[in-house]
Amino acid sequence: MSRYKFLNNIRHYIEDLVSLKRLKAFLYILVFLGIGELVRFVFKLPISGNIIGMLFLFIALKQKWINLDKIKPASDKLLEFLVLFFIPYGVGLMVYFDLIRDYWLPISIAIIASTLLTLYVTAIILQKFGK
Amino acid sequence: MNNFLQLPIFGIGITILFYLLCGKLGKLRLFFLNPVLLTVVGIILFLKIFNVRFENYNAGGKYLTYFLGPAVVALGAFFYEKYEELRRDLKLFSISVIIGGSCGIVSVVLFLLLLEMPLFLIKSLASKSVTTPIAIEITKTIGGIPDITAGIVIAVGVFGNVIGPIFLRKLGITDKRAIGAALGTAAHGIGTARALQEGKTSGVYSGIAMCLNGIITAFSAPYILYLLL
Repeated sequence: MSRYKFLNNIRHYIEDLVSLKRLKAFLYILVFLGIGELVRFVFKLPISGNIIGMLFLFIALKQKWINLDKIKPASDKLLEFLVLFFIPYGVGLMVYFDLIRDYWLPISIAIIASTLLTLYVTAIILQKFGK
Repeated sequence: MNNFLQLPIFGIGITILFYLLCGKLGKLRLFFLNPVLLTVVGIILFLKIFNVRFENYNAGGKYLTYFLGPAVVALGAFFYEKYEELRRDLKLFSISVIIGGSCGIVSVVLFLLLLEMPLFLIKSLASKSVTTPIAIEITKTIGGIPDITAGIVIAVGVFGNVIGPIFLRKLGITDKRAIGAALGTAAHGIGTARALQEGKTSGVYSGIAMCLNGIITAFSAPYILYLLL
């Protein structure tokens, strides 16, 4: 009985995941991705197509060319699983262990110093003038 | 066995499995149990112990990374949604993120140059403060190694998450908005997770700072590298 319930839960989850509304929203996102790739290709920009697509989506939403409700079903799911999508890249680091092993100390110093600097500079500007 | 390992289902399955397991562990809210870090380390250890080659894992992994394309576009919707909440001091906020973010790129490139690091490392680390999916794209564009970027970016996020608020308080930063913006700019999504613990305002500021710094870095990193190298 409980096994049946479990399978039913999975079925509902998948039905919700690939609902028509979500697929339509995903199609919209793919259109923006396509536009971004096209713009990058035509103008030979040094910025990747999906970042250009992201900007276009933001502008389209802001100018009310498209309603957020149309995008949200897919964008929420994509962002929910965002971590999952870049994990294989993180795992790929294992291939380069030998390559960066000799540099781990200077890398750590540079990165820690730069991160602390970024933290402080951003915070102090906002705090000092943000009264 | 080797045939099974080469099927995409192995790479996809193992990633989802570790992701779910580590998500559960991450609920304990101990800083070193960051779910992203745990998942990556867990999968690397698993592959090493069972002697599976990365190529076999990535036969499935690459299907997951394909979704980074649409996921980055989806960040535009997230940015729009949050942006509405911060109209009030948008100008000053943007200035601080732009200056802070640029400081991050220039300083890491300069430090690595001073320490005489090879070029491929500098190119892979220039976008170290940006959210991982965008950082990967930037590295691809400027000719670094995205796998190194992803690993370091996650490490930077965890570092910012753990050290950020303590460090800022020691230096006299008390403003919730400033702490949020700084965490988002320097430590992307993992920093934002910490900012959310500081309060809703910090969380919102951090989320927008993350998006804004992603966009700024994507546009400026190729030119900054061109000028400095």
